[in-house]
Amino acid sequence: MYRRSSTPISDEIYFLCMLHNLGITAPEKSLTIEEISRWTAVEPSKAKENLNKLLKARYVDVRIVSGVKRYFITADGIRKVLSMYS
Amino acid sequence: MNICMLTWEYPPRIVGGIARHCEGLAKALAKMGYIVHVITLDFPGAPQYEEVGGVKIHRTSVELGHPSFIAWVFIFNHFMEKKIAMISKDVKFDIIHIHDWLVALAGIATKHYLKLPLILTLHSTEFGRASGLSNPDSYLIDGVEWWATYESKRVIVTSNSMKKEVEEHFHLPHSKIDVIPNAIDTSRYEVKVDREAVKKRYGIAPDERIVLFVGRLAPQKGVEYLIKATPKIVNSHPNARIVIVGDGWLKDYLWNLTISSGYSHRISFLGFLSDSELIELTLSSDVLVIPSVYEPFGIVALEGMAAGIPVVASNVGGLAEIIEHDKTGVLVYAGDPNSIAWGVNRVLSDPKYAFWLVENAKRKVREVYSWDAVARKTAEVYEKSSGGA
Repeated sequence: MYRRSSTPISDEIYFLCMLHNLGITAPEKSLTIEEISRWTAVEPSKAKENLNKLLKARYVDVRIVSGVKRYFITADGIRKVLSMYS
Repeated sequence: MNICMLTWEYPPRIVGGIARHCEGLAKALAKMGYIVHVITLDFPGAPQYEEVGGVKIHRTSVELGHPSFIAWVFIFNHFMEKKIAMISKDVKFDIIHIHDWLVALAGIATKHYLKLPLILTLHSTEFGRASGLSNPDSYLIDGVEWWATYESKRVIVTSNSMKKEVEEHFHLPHSKIDVIPNAIDTSRYEVKVDREAVKKRYGIAPDERIVLFVGRLAPQKGVEYLIKATPKIVNSHPNARIVIVGDGWLKDYLWNLTISSGYSHRISFLGFLSDSELIELTLSSDVLVIPSVYEPFGIVALEGMAAGIPVVASNVGGLAEIIEHDKTGVLVYAGDPNSIAWGVNRVLSDPKYAFWLVENAKRKVREVYSWDAVARKTAEVYEKSSGGA
């Protein structure tokens, strides 16, 4: 994600863009918080905070595999990211 | 002739105008007898391969990722190349047609290993989108755009203003550039809608008059000037409601601007709408405003004209070529809220004038901006370019 001007975008949307670019765009490509934190270099607590906001906005969904939460971007989330790129 | 068309967006994956452009062009070319393979990116729910409207659509899964947008673009180009290599075992392509810098790397590589002519449609430039080059990513994108124009046998742009911009910025020979406008399927707007029901869906009262904006919420679209024009519009037409459709990274800024204007009760942000929802809303609107400060073409103007609502647009780029002031729409000064308010108030105040604009606009769209006409011109470019890289 690159930013066009000094107008800031929110942390969680910037985070959403990173998730998109990482390719977490389907349930079978989902990642755990620890994996997301490692790939994005965002602290787990901050990653969790962003993911909770994105879950609430329905840009991200979660699946549970062997008792572990794995996150992926929804179609609405992909559209949101794509609207950021121009 | 087998066409290999590369685009990062193709329905249902829609970012901006490129998806609709590629879909309209590919279907019209297929109707002419060309075999069109579209290579694009995957989207949830869309199959890896399908044929729609005679077009063969191949969707590429990107198996690697990186948080950086630029790195991601380079990675998906690699996977597109791989997809093309696999398809080309069975299909002998004759032309590669790429749309914008995002797929340039895959297109250029394919040109060299398949030894085929490369055609580039440049829908906009980084220099124009970003109002200049100010960071390393922008410089890189600008460089890729220049490289794509250099590697291409022909460069297609959608307006004369874009041709001038490309000639000047990339020092491209005048003779290498073809101007082929965008187009629209007017039949999609030939539907009856229950305007009251549509308004109710979005919390708009039956007697309110919709001043519609459709587009990405990015600086080049000039939405902030429409928000700043709102007090003057509402003072003249108290039942006017500004309806903003679209999303983008500028949304928070625009929302805060709306709050501070004191007119948030007259401005609605609807976010992203599906195609059918957007058509219904457009048909229910009273005026379409396009306040762009940079617009290489402005396909949304054609959508308004086809829908039969008066269009008020900035006098910039392609918009100034599509719209004849006082005949098929109203042109206003870019970045000038007073001018925008003047244009909107003019069409809202005079129904006869608005009707005259709409009738002229509908006729022009049908005659000039059809996909069949655009496909014919594009096919001419293919024919004169075929026969080796």
